[in-house]
Amino acid sequence: MSLELVVFAIASGLAIASALAMVVVKTPVRSVLSLVLTFFALAVLSVLLAAPFIAALQVIVYAGAILVLFLFVVMLLNLTQEAEGHDERPIQRVLGLIAVVAIGGLLLGVTLKAGAPPVPPAGGPIGVATDEIPILGRLLFSDYLLAFEALSVLLLLAAVGALILSKRRFD
Amino acid sequence: MSDATFAIVAAIAKILLVWAIALAALLPNLVWAERRGAGMIQDRPGPNRVGPFGLFQAVADVIKLFMKEDVTPLYVDRLLYNLAPWITMMPALVTFAVIPFGSTFPVTLGGVTRDVPLIIADVNIGILYIFAFASLGIYGIVLAGWSSNNKYSMMGGLRASAQIISYELSMGFAAAATFLVAGSLRLPAVVEWQQAHVWNVVPQFVGFLIFLIAVFAETNRLPFDLAEAEAELVAGFHTEYSAFKFGMFFMGEYANIIAASGLVVTLYFGGWSLPGIAFTGVWGAIASIAVFFAKTLVFIALFIWVRWTLPRFRYDQLMDLGWKVLLPLSFFHLIVVAAFVAAK
Repeated sequence: MSLELVVFAIASGLAIASALAMVVVKTPVRSVLSLVLTFFALAVLSVLLAAPFIAALQVIVYAGAILVLFLFVVMLLNLTQEAEGHDERPIQRVLGLIAVVAIGGLLLGVTLKAGAPPVPPAGGPIGVATDEIPILGRLLFSDYLLAFEALSVLLLLAAVGALILSKRRFD
Repeated sequence: MSDATFAIVAAIAKILLVWAIALAALLPNLVWAERRGAGMIQDRPGPNRVGPFGLFQAVADVIKLFMKEDVTPLYVDRLLYNLAPWITMMPALVTFAVIPFGSTFPVTLGGVTRDVPLIIADVNIGILYIFAFASLGIYGIVLAGWSSNNKYSMMGGLRASAQIISYELSMGFAAAATFLVAGSLRLPAVVEWQQAHVWNVVPQFVGFLIFLIAVFAETNRLPFDLAEAEAELVAGFHTEYSAFKFGMFFMGEYANIIAASGLVVTLYFGGWSLPGIAFTGVWGAIASIAVFFAKTLVFIALFIWVRWTLPRFRYDQLMDLGWKVLLPLSFFHLIVVAAFVAAK
């Protein structure tokens, strides 16, 4: 058994376990933390795929910035325990289960049909990987320029919208 | 010895060397330097009873912290409460991995000479790795504040999260300019560029100032230690911590200072290099480590000096400085540097 397989097993196991914990755990702060752990495990998987840049972005943007803001909001509202017992939402639960089974079956089918995964580029994991950053940069500003610019406009709109909403007086 | 085994042995040796210098040799003396420096600046002796010049004060402090009763208040979130001090320590310990601390060290084994670069892991994402772990370190403080089940701790944790988010951006943009001129995210490449041209602090003085201020905010040091703010929040996020766990927050803070100083030196002051001197051979390698060490010490001294000189910012001032001054300035700085790089 190669070392990479061991790391993969640990990281993917951690990702699945913490993703489950995120949903199951009752305390919102612990939920957020489980999500942090999930993103961290996913970053480790990216490193295994010889994509350390993606891994770093995953940790910086998701685990380091967005989830800190989540935590900030949870703490600011001082949510200690999820309110229990009220509104069991029976229909939504059944619909949710159906959706889960459908999407899960779809994913499983696609994975099984795809066959053996492509071999990652030679050079192996972090440290000796090819420099992917210039390639990524070039792609962003050539092939994906429109999508890239559209996304940045979208983010700007969201920021301006949030500002307007927060500044609006309720009179 | 095959290349692979040699690489592993060399990596372990380098990790041990860096941790020995940074944690075993530097960290305890930093506590002493801080307290004596405080004494000097405030015109009083400071701790001078334990050993010559009070040098063993740190040992006495550590023994005291170990011996004290470890009080865990009721109604805390035990898991997170116990985990938080460890999370604070972690980023500082792993940050050292990508900072080059010397030139190359020639090792002759069985007639084969290999040049060992004095950096633990030369990863191609260099600085992003540091930012990734720096942004995770904040969880220690935030969780300490939340899990303590104490209003003041909670306020400290809240402040810390907002503060780090605000200053991370300026820090990133300031640092990005140094990588733009070097043309790589690898920290050794930044050092090589500075060796070949000029220390980054000269052409990018504005960037250096932004980075330095942001680093003070990121390490939670005065004038930006709003998360502690003992005048308003008792002791902020670590109000409810005692004994060894409290000591771990302290060690984490100092380890962060060492790592941050090393990073400032690497990005703006040529790292281990000196202009006009080529560090080759065994003695060159040792000399380059000494140079890096000396430069880092200067910035550690600056951290201490600033702490005992400047008063704490008010919270609104902190936010104003971060969002209205540093962030636009760092944007502007990056654009100017990018224009120069493009024009060349």
